[in-house]
Amino acid sequence: MSYYVPVVVLGALSAVFAIISLVAGTVSGPKRWNRAKLEAYECGIEPTRQPAGIRFPVKYYLTAMLFIVFDIEIIFLYPWAVAFDRLGVFGLVEMVTFVATVLVAYVYVWRRGGLEWD
Amino acid sequence: MSEPGEGAGQPDAAAIAGRERLTEPVVRTGLFGTHTTGDTSGYGGLQVRQPPPLSSEPPYGSYFDEVTDALGGALEASGLSFGTAVERVVAENGELTLHVRREHIESVCRSLRDDPALAFELCLGVSGVHYLTDPGRELHAVYHLLSITRNRRLRLEVSAPDADPHIPSVTGVYPTCDWHEREAWDFFGIIFDGHPALTRIEMPDDWKGHPQRKDYPLGGIPVEYRGATVPPPDERRSYS
Amino acid sequence: MGIEEKLPSGVLLTTVEKLAGYARRVSVWPATFGLACCAMELMATGGPRHDLARFGMERASNTPRQADLMIVAGRVSQKMAPVLRQIYDQMSEPKWVISMGVCASSGGMFNNYAIVQGVDHIVPVDIYLPGCPPRPEMLLDAIIKLHDKIQNSKLGANRERQITELEQARLRRLPLLPHLRTEVEQ
Repeated sequence: MSYYVPVVVLGALSAVFAIISLVAGTVSGPKRWNRAKLEAYECGIEPTRQPAGIRFPVKYYLTAMLFIVFDIEIIFLYPWAVAFDRLGVFGLVEMVTFVATVLVAYVYVWRRGGLEWD
Repeated sequence: MSEPGEGAGQPDAAAIAGRERLTEPVVRTGLFGTHTTGDTSGYGGLQVRQPPPLSSEPPYGSYFDEVTDALGGALEASGLSFGTAVERVVAENGELTLHVRREHIESVCRSLRDDPALAFELCLGVSGVHYLTDPGRELHAVYHLLSITRNRRLRLEVSAPDADPHIPSVTGVYPTCDWHEREAWDFFGIIFDGHPALTRIEMPDDWKGHPQRKDYPLGGIPVEYRGATVPPPDERRSYS
Repeated sequence: MGIEEKLPSGVLLTTVEKLAGYARRVSVWPATFGLACCAMELMATGGPRHDLARFGMERASNTPRQADLMIVAGRVSQKMAPVLRQIYDQMSEPKWVISMGVCASSGGMFNNYAIVQGVDHIVPVDIYLPGCPPRPEMLLDAIIKLHDKIQNSKLGANRERQITELEQARLRRLPLLPHLRTEVEQ
């Protein structure tokens, strides 16, 4: 338990530093309002609205989510690879079952078109 | 001026051309836009002479005859004759220029692009020219075409009077001329009929006037430095 | 909020001013507005030989919200002028402007319809830097002069007094040439 005390202290100190920086800047800085500061930044030109039908492209979310899933799979593969010779056949069968389960998910995403970018 | 071959017989061709140029009428002196005697840079002595409009007779030489013959054939196929569409052909300095009547520019461009013997696929853009001293034909639009398959170049020139500055747009044939035509409108006031969106492209959208015309002022301001004021270059007096 | 503009003057304020001036001076983040040839010299100033990083200025922010200093490097055309003003407006206080090069300071060699004859027609300028283009050493000199200005900027009531004093000093300044001075003195 005492191993984690420095980590907690570090977390607390960083949080305190961040909060103090933001609060001090907000409280003590000059306040000069002008309308341009409220407008969206679009490299100096007036911001143009997107046409009504175009929504945020969902392919960005899909890419991120698929990455998370397969990255977690890789994370499980690393300790298994390190302790491979001690785990023996049992470990092999276990990992093959795991990879096969994730493979089902992969085939599903592939056939449903989740890997198409356009 | 001395001519090396004068005593021997034929005078030098360059000397003849030079003497002929001196007989052309002087159309402009001084710097652009000056109304005084000239400025300090020495351009007060500038005298621009207007050459007579060039015209070449067939045969033109190198690949020019193939191009004009093929163009004539392609135009006949679409119901137009070469002489109606093209008012003048100039083959000078190894370059072929066709002066096309403005009503037919789109058909001519389409024939040039689509006919396999011509195959001018690439249009390098439209440029505007303003001839202040050519009444009835003040605004010119110049198209440079390149045939990649046959390695040939061609220039088309279309003229329009200032009173009716309309030229049909060729964006249907060469879409790259979209922004070039906007620039010609912005700087010269040439209106391209059939252009999808003819708006200003380089000047601010609410600018008045067409800056690159010869009668548009330079628009400079006087500069003050250490007590002296220097007027902008087109308003400086002559020191001679 | 906005405490720094309301501080009462006194010895404590002087210390705070020095501290705030120091903090603002050593971490100026430029919003480099590199428009034309002067941008090349600006990039060279950020390079290894003439280093901007030693002033804490290596982090040039492309967003004006996080920028302190706008270095207008290059000629500003009539079409670019509202864009420049919008970027300046979107910068948060405190902000400074260096007009780098003769084109930004006065229109430079382009005395014509298309170029704004000096960005001080559009934004208030703190340091004018002539040159076509100014060498990186000249830009560093301008930046160091700006650092002096930032260090010596006062806060609160002192700031208002400082602004009035500077204005009076400029109004009292005589023309450079003697034959014009006598006109003013009359």
